Amino acid sequence: MKRREILQAGLAAAAAAGALHPLSGRAASAGGRVIVVGGGMAGATVAKYLRMWSNNTLEVTLVERNPAYLSNIMSSLVLTGQRSMSSLRFGYETLQSRYGVKLVFDEVLAVDTAAGSVRLASGSSLTADKIVLAPGIRFDALPGQKDPSLMPHAWSAGAQTELLAKQLGAMKAGGTVVLTIPKTPYRCPPGPYERACLLADWLKAKKPGSKLLVLDANPDIVVEQDNFSKAFFGLHANVIEYHRGVEISSVDESQMMLYTNGGAVHGDVINLIPPQRAGKLIEQTGLATATNGRFAPVDVLSYASLDAPRIHVIGDSSATTQPKAGHIANQEAKICADALVRHFAGAAPDAAPVTNSACFSTITRSQASWLSVVFQYDALSRTMKSVAASSAASTGWTKDNFEDMNEWFRALMADSFA
Amino acid sequence: MRCMQSVKTGALVLALISSSGAWAQTTVPPPGRLLASNCFQCHGTNGKGPGFERLAGESSDEIYKELKEMQSGKEGQGLMTKHAMGYTDAQLRAMSKWFSTQR
Repeated sequence: MKRREILQAGLAAAAAAGALHPLSGRAASAGGRVIVVGGGMAGATVAKYLRMWSNNTLEVTLVERNPAYLSNIMSSLVLTGQRSMSSLRFGYETLQSRYGVKLVFDEVLAVDTAAGSVRLASGSSLTADKIVLAPGIRFDALPGQKDPSLMPHAWSAGAQTELLAKQLGAMKAGGTVVLTIPKTPYRCPPGPYERACLLADWLKAKKPGSKLLVLDANPDIVVEQDNFSKAFFGLHANVIEYHRGVEISSVDESQMMLYTNGGAVHGDVINLIPPQRAGKLIEQTGLATATNGRFAPVDVLSYASLDAPRIHVIGDSSATTQPKAGHIANQEAKICADALVRHFAGAAPDAAPVTNSACFSTITRSQASWLSVVFQYDALSRTMKSVAASSAASTGWTKDNFEDMNEWFRALMADSFA
Repeated sequence: MRCMQSVKTGALVLALISSSGAWAQTTVPPPGRLLASNCFQCHGTNGKGPGFERLAGESSDEIYKELKEMQSGKEGQGLMTKHAMGYTDAQLRAMSKWFSTQR
């Protein structure tokens, strides 16, 4: 009773000051309030599971600036005309109707880590006991880059994906496509390699005589080396030219040139995937203190920020030993949700969390490989450690794997958004 | 050892719930649920699909036996074999048991 009175008094004061956005008709949930910022794989999942696992006692508000999520997973298939953008669209309606997540379509301008509040672009503010930040990644601009539509990254599904598809479609047969891979850590480690394979297969069929230059800033293929090596130097060797350790120093958009440590490179179409860092909000809030100031360090038992314990950071924005990818982001979200449910019940987080990653890579337009790994919490290093026996890839690629990929995607998206 | 720890944690959790008043409206998770949620990405929320095989409501012994067979490598070197190799015996038991409680 007392707590409720205090909360109501607080609300009245805040409302009088014109600072509060009403979360609901009620004063506040007795079970606690959580704001989730960002409705991607991590944010949608944490919102859903916070409601479900708290038996609807936690009040959960999801703040997202877009009306729907566009999946990055499977988005390379838009480039080859095998998928439509609408097949990648996932709305937030079910989170609201089935789970009672409150939706606020707005942009967060600032986070007050001490007060537990967020300021919105619309001018209002939201306050909660805990804030979960899941703003994903943003891209570094390279010197000389002025118009991001001329050398699209297409690494965040949407207009950029459609743009790259259009540029590839308009290219003459016998042309040169350049795909650049940034240094790790970046979103979806196998992603650029699988895109290269998929595009090579497509170029053979639709743009005969074309080349695909893959410029990798890393010293070697960063993941699934056996499969991608066989694909790059075997199956697609007549299309793909792979260059290791190539860093882009500047670009000239008018000439469609990339200047690198290995010389100047021209492309008719350039898919420039730049280096990546956590979403702007993470840096602004002072939480990007790991990985040379690029990502947010967290306690992987709860995903609480190491810099502001009232704030939790999940998904690609966080700095962990796990890959930045949707399947892992979904599991990080569940660990965070479980820890918050325990927190509001006065209990400590699960002391031995486990995550896994399953992911499929397109090697051709109809065949895929897979990659698997399980991470167990290591109390000594306080990190998630991959279990050696579980860390493996398929031997080669098959049509069955391609079908499994479609089923995996369907299940993963339903677990996150429905 | 693991059993001892979870008994201790359980007791601590109970003590905390009874002393925490209003906060106790949120419940402490049942054992095995967070572990089992590792399977939801491919087998559906609570193992109820959509996705690969439905796990909800299957017998605990059946799920466990199947996971152990996969873990042994006798069923080939597929993705699930590799996944099963990432979990301890106690973890496989805990998640199997949790799925059997789902209807």
